[in-house]
Amino acid sequence: MTQATSPPRRSVIAAHPLLSAAIAILIVADIFFALYTPIYSRLTPKLGDFPFFYWYLLIFMPVTSVALWLATLLQKRLADNGGAR
Amino acid sequence: MSNVNVTTFTIVVVLFLVVTGAGFAAARWRRPQNMLNLDEWGLGGRGFGVFITWFLLGGDLYTAYTFIAVPALVFGSGSIGFYAVAYTILVYPIIFIFLPRLWSVSRAHGYITPADFIRGRYGSRGLALASAFTGILALMPYIALQLVGIQAVLTVMGVGASSTNTFVKDLPLFIAFVVLAIFTYVSGLRAPALIAFIKDTLIYLFVIVAVFYIPTRLGGWSHIFDAAQTHFASISPATKKPIGTFLPTSKSIGSTRFDFASLALGSAVALFLYPHAITGTLAAKRRSTVQRNMIYLPLYSVLLALIALFGYMAVADPTTAANVKKSGNAQLAVPYLFQHMFPSWFTGIAFAGIIIGALVPAAIMSIAAANLFTKNIFAEFFKPDASAELQTKMARWVSLVVKLGALLFAVELPHTFSINLQLLGGVWILQLAPMLIGGLFTRWFHRWALLAGWLAGMAFGTLAAYNVSSATASHWAASSDIEFGHTIYIGLSAVVLNLVIAVVLTPILRAARVPEGTDETLPEQYTADPEQAPAPTPAEVGATP
Repeated sequence: MTQATSPPRRSVIAAHPLLSAAIAILIVADIFFALYTPIYSRLTPKLGDFPFFYWYLLIFMPVTSVALWLATLLQKRLADNGGAR
Repeated sequence: MSNVNVTTFTIVVVLFLVVTGAGFAAARWRRPQNMLNLDEWGLGGRGFGVFITWFLLGGDLYTAYTFIAVPALVFGSGSIGFYAVAYTILVYPIIFIFLPRLWSVSRAHGYITPADFIRGRYGSRGLALASAFTGILALMPYIALQLVGIQAVLTVMGVGASSTNTFVKDLPLFIAFVVLAIFTYVSGLRAPALIAFIKDTLIYLFVIVAVFYIPTRLGGWSHIFDAAQTHFASISPATKKPIGTFLPTSKSIGSTRFDFASLALGSAVALFLYPHAITGTLAAKRRSTVQRNMIYLPLYSVLLALIALFGYMAVADPTTAANVKKSGNAQLAVPYLFQHMFPSWFTGIAFAGIIIGALVPAAIMSIAAANLFTKNIFAEFFKPDASAELQTKMARWVSLVVKLGALLFAVELPHTFSINLQLLGGVWILQLAPMLIGGLFTRWFHRWALLAGWLAGMAFGTLAAYNVSSATASHWAASSDIEFGHTIYIGLSAVVLNLVIAVVLTPILRAARVPEGTDETLPEQYTADPEQAPAPTPAEVGATP
């Protein structure tokens, strides 16, 4: 039903602090830069005819995709090294 | 029916029939030996790969919420409506944190609803009942939003709109409702999964055409943005304040920045607490299927940002703006825009896309609500020895009842901005966050502390939402109110209250040695990726103590 007993999560994080921190930063940054409106609630610089606020949100979507793709890759490495996901 | 455009009407009807036919054909698709099994009817046999899961989960996002409600809010109030875009960005990093864990533990124990997990994790039937009740309640206004969306399209098509008789006016709505109910009843989750393909093809087609074509008719994007900026800065004679905002502001009309951020965050956390989104997730074949979808799905939501901009196109097009103003219903902004901008045959395709785009999620939602009721209320409390066959039959009937409940929400609640229906559902469903998301990571919370927090959050949220009034509605007018000097989404303030109570009560209950309940899950089950499901039967899962 389940995979062979793996070491608990905490030890994986302790064994690979850099990898774990990189994943955490990717996720937290993604959330922060979408949520903190003072960064992007502005008109300029424009991209084409789009004011900053509007193109920032538009560009953010593919950026999220890439960030989550990287996070998944890192997580996979973490799993391969530590034996747990 | 005098002003019905025959071409538009015919194309909508034909596409609608094609899709309904596909829905019935879906009942034969990858046909299982026995359809009368809740795992089959409700989860499509748990065998969906990356591609189908992508369509299924994408279908949860691309609903009448996207096509009607968001552009309506953008049309009426400006930049605040773009919280929905920030929301669809935020969803993915947030679910990245907890959704794979939910998939793994659900697969290990054969859970098919969020309430199954709650029950297994906390050993508490009461807490599971609370979560099942919340899920069903929260889905009703969300389904109601889909019905309001269909109604908006039919109104612009001229179907039944000229009559003042309530029944005649709502007749097309009832017809769509009945067709939806029948095909959901017959083919379960397989129907919406197949129809999602057709729906998304239609949607991609008309959105991409609209995004490139309409600006050329309106003097380009710069004119659209300029028109919107001027429009929202103008002073409303009624309130003596600007009509809306072109950017989220910290001053002028309250602080829309807080409102913007809290609506985005609240909605993002809420989405994957909804039973229908969890149903879509659990129907995936592998844990990696769920993870890979989080990478692809944000690309899907680029369209959502463009669709929100339809609201500004409607502002920039004088004919559309005048039509909407005359009707007094902002929900008609996108349908009127398409009708004025496109030849009638293409309008037909777009309208069919919107209608089907509302039907598919409505079907998925009502199936999820039915699963919840059957498994976690009916089988749990009323008939523990119910056979798999009886449970499936029950679920089919309940899905009809849930849709009727939604119809009631659609008729009773004010819909100045129909987006409020979804936000009201969000106020309720967010109250599951501490027990569900919290429970995926820790067993620290005491089950009765969670129940107390849930109760407080539900009571506060419902009361606060009820008390919001506006110029046109005395109650339920919006889902944000003022807390500590800032306009903030009620769902978020309610869940903070919920969490605080759970945190305070947990040590007290533990000190008083109140029984904690048994946890049937094991730590490694939250990270496992078993290839084979343990082939649970609903009866077996329901009977396990």
